[in-house]
Parts: sequence; structure tokens; C-alpha cells
Amino acid sequence: MSKSENMKRASKGLIFGSDNPYAIEVKNLRKIYKGRKVIEEVKAVDGISFFINKGEIFGLLGPNGAGKTTTINILCGLLNQTEGDAFVGGYNIKKDLSKIKELIGVCPQQASVYQYLNAKENIKLFGNLHLVKKDIINERMEKFLELLGLAKASNRAAKKYSGGMLRQLNLIVALISDPPILFLDEPTVGMDARVRRTTWEFINSLKNTNKTVLLTTHYIEEAEALCDRVAIIDFGKLVALGPPKELIEKHNAKDLEGVFLKITGRRIMEGI
Amino acid sequence: MKRQRIFAFVKIQLQSLIKVPTALFIVLLLPVALILIFGFAFGSIYVEDYGWTGQSGYLFEFMVPGFIAISGLFMAIPVALSFSEDREQGLLKRINTTPTSAAEFMGSHVISNMIMAIIQVAIIFILTFLMGGMKLITLEGIILSFVIMVIFSLSTIGFGLITATISKSAKAAGGIVWIFLLPQQLLAANLYPLPPETQIVTMFMPLHYASDALTLLFYGVDLSNLRIWWDLMILVIFSLVLILAGILLFKKYGRA
Repeated sequence: MSKSENMKRASKGLIFGSDNPYAIEVKNLRKIYKGRKVIEEVKAVDGISFFINKGEIFGLLGPNGAGKTTTINILCGLLNQTEGDAFVGGYNIKKDLSKIKELIGVCPQQASVYQYLNAKENIKLFGNLHLVKKDIINERMEKFLELLGLAKASNRAAKKYSGGMLRQLNLIVALISDPPILFLDEPTVGMDARVRRTTWEFINSLKNTNKTVLLTTHYIEEAEALCDRVAIIDFGKLVALGPPKELIEKHNAKDLEGVFLKITGRRIMEGI
Repeated sequence: MKRQRIFAFVKIQLQSLIKVPTALFIVLLLPVALILIFGFAFGSIYVEDYGWTGQSGYLFEFMVPGFIAISGLFMAIPVALSFSEDREQGLLKRINTTPTSAAEFMGSHVISNMIMAIIQVAIIFILTFLMGGMKLITLEGIILSFVIMVIFSLSTIGFGLITATISKSAKAAGGIVWIFLLPQQLLAANLYPLPPETQIVTMFMPLHYASDALTLLFYGVDLSNLRIWWDLMILVIFSLVLILAGILLFKKYGRA
């Protein structure tokens, strides 16, 4: 199926690759690192399964090193899984990676933009990589820069940006192709409270555009504010899954931190 | 291969020439400095029976082909640094999540470096001409010099990619790249006469073939001289092997 056909189906609210009803489906996914120097194998992802409905904001919540980024990296083709299956937009990540890449936007944990280029040049570059037309790139770029408050600094080289501004630019770059499926890996790390609020509002507004968002975070507040459902991960295993309110009620906790504490006996911010 | 993607990459690579101090220095300022310094220093020294050619002329004229070749060689530095930095900053991974193919990504780097080589040689030629160092070379020789340097630029990208593959960081790449550059610069640049014993070593250095061919052209040797074409043929083989080795090694071991 061509990219334009995919986009047409996306705009009609259809899922892309097959009859798979989910935007993302993960089945018994495992990633085990076996190095020559590593005596014990490291199970970064240990048999997790979940699905994400179209138009849903889904959170992977867990401490640093729990396996959230590894999961995203597998889903967007940067890592091969050791076992299990996963489908993005109905396409199998092992067989149809090139089709998946046309459907996704990835906002990595590290603000990955060309430091010597300014915001506009970075955004245009990634728009071109997704073969977006020039006038559409310009239109979207102006809108996103305005919404996130970067318009005034958009002609300044990225190396002169603050950490928060770089992360906002990182997010815009992921969105420039208007992808139906978005991977946001810790999108607000390093932002101050005000910028984080603005960014949350922006991510929340994506719900109106019917985008599917897979967001990783270790911020409880972020998961509660943005996610329709969350999967709590610890040591690569999925330990809880559901809407934040339901999980909180089910475990008789005050918030998701309480849920994590009750399940694992540790706090999320403690790490693994 | 989509033109839109290749143009986008080529554009930002060429922008780095102006915006990244290292690239600006290596590609543009260093050759200018070499020509100016050596032009003023040796422009008036006349030598009889210079090196293997046995020709007479101003010392600066004999050095110019070497400067051109060395300037091209030094382009391995920004290549090694930019790939290492892109990897450190997670840009290679990010690009890998877009529909961009490896051929488009690498192809655009090859094109942009070839363009940089052309810009570099043009600047050197203009300066050298103004300083009186291009008395013997013919118009055909000038055109062939551009071709030689464009082909040679492939081998420098290869050296840059191999350096980026074996370096863990951009800082390390800045040092490691000299393993490839220094021996060539000292032994194969034809800047000064060397004992014939060094020829065995220089046979394995692509710079030797580039500088040898350029030297012949700058001395006004006729294009029918087979040595020029022999040099060019070996340079093509070296460049293709190095660029392919660089791309394959970097693709397999250098992107993570």
C-alpha cells in the first residue's frame, strides 16, 4: 500500500496495514541482552503484552531502566526483539518496517536535532525526509512554533536553546509529518514547570486530531494528566495496566505512585 | 532514492560549511592559509632540477599540487567528526526512524562532500593563479584536476567513515583520524623530494596517486601521458574500495 493510500485511510479513521483493530499491538515481547562480558543476561523487556487503540494516549510508566525506551526502540525498528511479535499500524515490525516508518513520528528521549541549524531548518529537514510538501511544512511549522511558544526563537541556532526549548523542538520535529502514530519518549524531561504545562496542553490537544500516542514517562503527574490508559513496567515486566483512575481505585492508592509502591514496594523515582 | 530527501541532506551539509567552525576551517580556511603562507614564503625561491621531475621553477609551484591533495585529504576530519557527533546526539537513530533509506543518507553525504571538494579546489586554483603558481598547467589539466579531486574526495569520506566507526566519541574521532592522515601527509603529498625507498609505502596511499597526477598536470605534462591515467585508475579503485568499506563498516558497527 502506498504512502498516500495509507494517509487517506488514516484520515478516514481506518487502521492501516491489515485487519488488526489496534494502532499498536505488542505480544509477549522480550529483549534480552547477552554480551560476551556480561555474565548474567539482562532482560530489558521481559514478555510484555498490550494493545493501544486508535486515537488513544497510552503511557508506559516506570522507573529509569524499567524497559520503556527499549520497548519504543523495538516498535520503531531501532532494536530487534529477542522474542515476541509487535504490530504498528497493523504492520509487523519484523516484516514491514519501511511501511511503519511512513506512519510514525518519533520524539526520542535525547533532544536529537542538528545543533548548528535553527529550529525552522531542523523542522524543514525532517519534513523533507518524510516527503511533505514545502507549503504544508511551512504551514505546520508556523502553527507548532506558535503553539509551543518557540516562534520568536525559531531563527536562532538550536545550540543556543535552553534544554526545555530543545525538547519542544524535538517534539515539533516528530510531528511535522502529521503522523497517525506518535512515540514520545520522556518528552518533558528537563523542562521547567511552566514549559512542561504548555507541552502537556499541546500533547493533550493531539487527542482532537485522532492521533495515537505512545508516551513513556517516569512522572506520575504526567501520566495522570495525559494518558487514557497506562502500563506500569518494572524490571521489564508489565505489572499493571488500565486507566489511571481505575488503577488508583483498584489498589486503593492516592495516585499512580501509590499504585507502583503497593505493587513493587518501591517508589518510581527511586529507579531500579 | 527520493530527490527531496537527498537535496535536504545536501543542503544542510553545505550549510555546515558556513555554520560549523571546524568544517569552515578545514574545507575553506586551511587551504587558503596554506597557499598564502607558502606562496609568500617560497614564491620567490627558484630551484633548478627539482625532485624526480628534474624541472626548474619556483618552489611554490612545485608545492601547489601537494597542497591541493592535502586539503582534500583533510576533509576526512569534518566527515569523521560530523558522523560521530550525529551519532552522539542521537541523530542517526532519529533519521533511522524516518523512511529515509541508507542509500539516500549515505548518497547525500557523498554528493555534498564532492561539492565541497569542488569548492575547495576552485578556491585553491583562484588563489594559486593570483599568486603566480599556475604557469604550466593547461585548461584540460585544470578540468582533470577537478575530476581527480572529486574522485579523491570519495576516499576521504571512506577514511572519515572508518574513523567514525572505530571512534567511541567525536573527541576520539578527532584524534584517531590522524592515523590515516599523518602518514599520507608526510610521505605521499609530493611536497618535497623523498628517497625512493618510501615509494613502497606510498603505493598503499591514495593521496600518492592524487598528488602524483596533480603534480604531472601542474608541470604541464601532456594528457596523453599514461602515468596520469594510471594514477587516476588506481585512485578510482582506492576510492571505491575505501568508500564502500567505510559505508559498510559504519552501517554495521558505527550507527549505534
